[in-house]
Amino acid sequence: MEKLIDILKDLRPDIDIECQSLVDDGILDSFDIVTLVGELVDTFSIEIGVEDIIPENFNSVDAIMALINSKA
Amino acid sequence: MSLVSIEFIGFVIISLLLYYMIPKKYQWIMLLVSSISFYLIGGTTAILYLIFTTLTTYFAGRLLGKCNKEDKKYADIIKKKKRLIVLVTALLNFGILFFLKYWNPVADMINNTLQVEKISRLELILPLGLSFYIFQSIGYIIDVYRNKYDPERNVFKYTLFTSFFPQMVQGPISRFDSLGNELFSEHKFSWDNLKDGIQLLMLGYFKKLVIADRAAVVVNAAIGNYTEQSGSVLLVAMILYCIQLYCDFSGGIDVTRAVAKMFGITLVDNFKRPIFSTSLTDFWRRWHISLGSWMKDYLFFPMSMSKPFVKFGKFVRKHIPGKAGKILPVSMVTFIVYFVIGIWHGGSLKYIAFGFWNGILITTALLLEPFFIKVKQKLNITDKNKLFYIFQIVRTSIIVLIGRYITRAPRLLAVFDMARITFTNFNLSNVFDGTMMNFGITVTDYIVIIVGTMIMLIMEAIDEYGVGTKKILEKKKVIIQWILLMISILTITVFGICRGNYIASEFIYKQF
Repeated sequence: MEKLIDILKDLRPDIDIECQSLVDDGILDSFDIVTLVGELVDTFSIEIGVEDIIPENFNSVDAIMALINSKA
Repeated sequence: MSLVSIEFIGFVIISLLLYYMIPKKYQWIMLLVSSISFYLIGGTTAILYLIFTTLTTYFAGRLLGKCNKEDKKYADIIKKKKRLIVLVTALLNFGILFFLKYWNPVADMINNTLQVEKISRLELILPLGLSFYIFQSIGYIIDVYRNKYDPERNVFKYTLFTSFFPQMVQGPISRFDSLGNELFSEHKFSWDNLKDGIQLLMLGYFKKLVIADRAAVVVNAAIGNYTEQSGSVLLVAMILYCIQLYCDFSGGIDVTRAVAKMFGITLVDNFKRPIFSTSLTDFWRRWHISLGSWMKDYLFFPMSMSKPFVKFGKFVRKHIPGKAGKILPVSMVTFIVYFVIGIWHGGSLKYIAFGFWNGILITTALLLEPFFIKVKQKLNITDKNKLFYIFQIVRTSIIVLIGRYITRAPRLLAVFDMARITFTNFNLSNVFDGTMMNFGITVTDYIVIIVGTMIMLIMEAIDEYGVGTKKILEKKKVIIQWILLMISILTITVFGICRGNYIASEFIYKQF
């Protein structure tokens, strides 16, 4: 979880990690998501496909963590 | 049939009457009959293209649906099969689109470059709404490929999805999971829907007939003869073109959404007040939203997540440290997407240049973002600074205006000529010495354009920063709402440009 928060803070220093609507509120845009996916793939040695790119998977830190766990 | 014609209004009234008179379970059939009739009135040959796209994507969807339910043991084979289905269907449909849309412009380009007629021009007619319904249908099969939802089994219901008549002229490009539900469910007649629909319809006609078509007269006359204008006149004509384009396209979408609303159907919005964009990226999030969203979901993400790009991304991140290494691969995809959006508008060189213009600016801004953040910190500027906010809006407007020079110029080389004239022969006095009266409209018309644009901007500002015009209106008594509606109908009848010497022109985005 800490690794993920570090990646997110590096990507968007102004991010509120408690936020539950990162995508819906436009805090993470499509560009951020692809950059984030690149980081996740490297850091956690997982594969994320285009079908995983749905707002629900990126709306909160917990959701992103759940996605990582499902791919591990 | 034009969306701004009396025939269209008559067509909608008859369709609405029948739609609400018949049993609700048959409403979607009535919509299908209306949609096919609307299409047939425009010409009988064009419908063959619509049928082709409908049937190929329908059967592709059914096949993909079957694959989605097959045994997961054979996942690899199924995936290959599914990819092949999508590839063949997309190639067939985009092939038609490319052929009809780009054959003649490319032939012209080659013949003009070689100065001989190497490739013959063909008598091709672009069927109504071709690129909109093809994009919509391809989006559908990709969604089914991704198992986002089950394919539609009923071919007639699916045909309604591809042919729904209000969005045939210029979109928006809808998604099956939202539009399908709206189209196939039963709708009770509602005075609120009718009132909301008529209000939106009037707003659309106001933008189109009062502002856009009036501005078009000046724009066509001045830019059609751009070599004879001074820079200031060209600049005014180009600003008028920006106003015309926005009022024409967003007005058309208002009409589309309004008609759908009267049938109880909510369509996606295509605009979110682009005038208040703070960057070019923000502008593209607010302008033609359904195309941008289509490009994001079906081009940007698949390309960014494709194996070659993921590998490339890993390579770049390893060899280029810091932020640049992280964002370079995605920036490249972003550039490609904006380039594609550019050529979506047409096959001529100026649209390729327009794609480059947007792609290069947005990519550069992304790559230089860390630098801009540092500069802002040094200058002590925060995003909450109002002056900086206004600066961002003005800067974006200028960038968009330059982009419009590229698309409105008669051809690519004329862009440089027009820019040269704007900068080297400005001659501001020409705007006030009567030159502007030579373009076919009167002082009163200019006043109508200015006042009309101001009204629209005030309404947009209320929507952007305030509670919203619709909410304000809803708080008024019903009788006042209907009186305001009557006033707006009267305004359009008096000031609408389908009178006298002018003829309401076609929507600009119809050609795309």
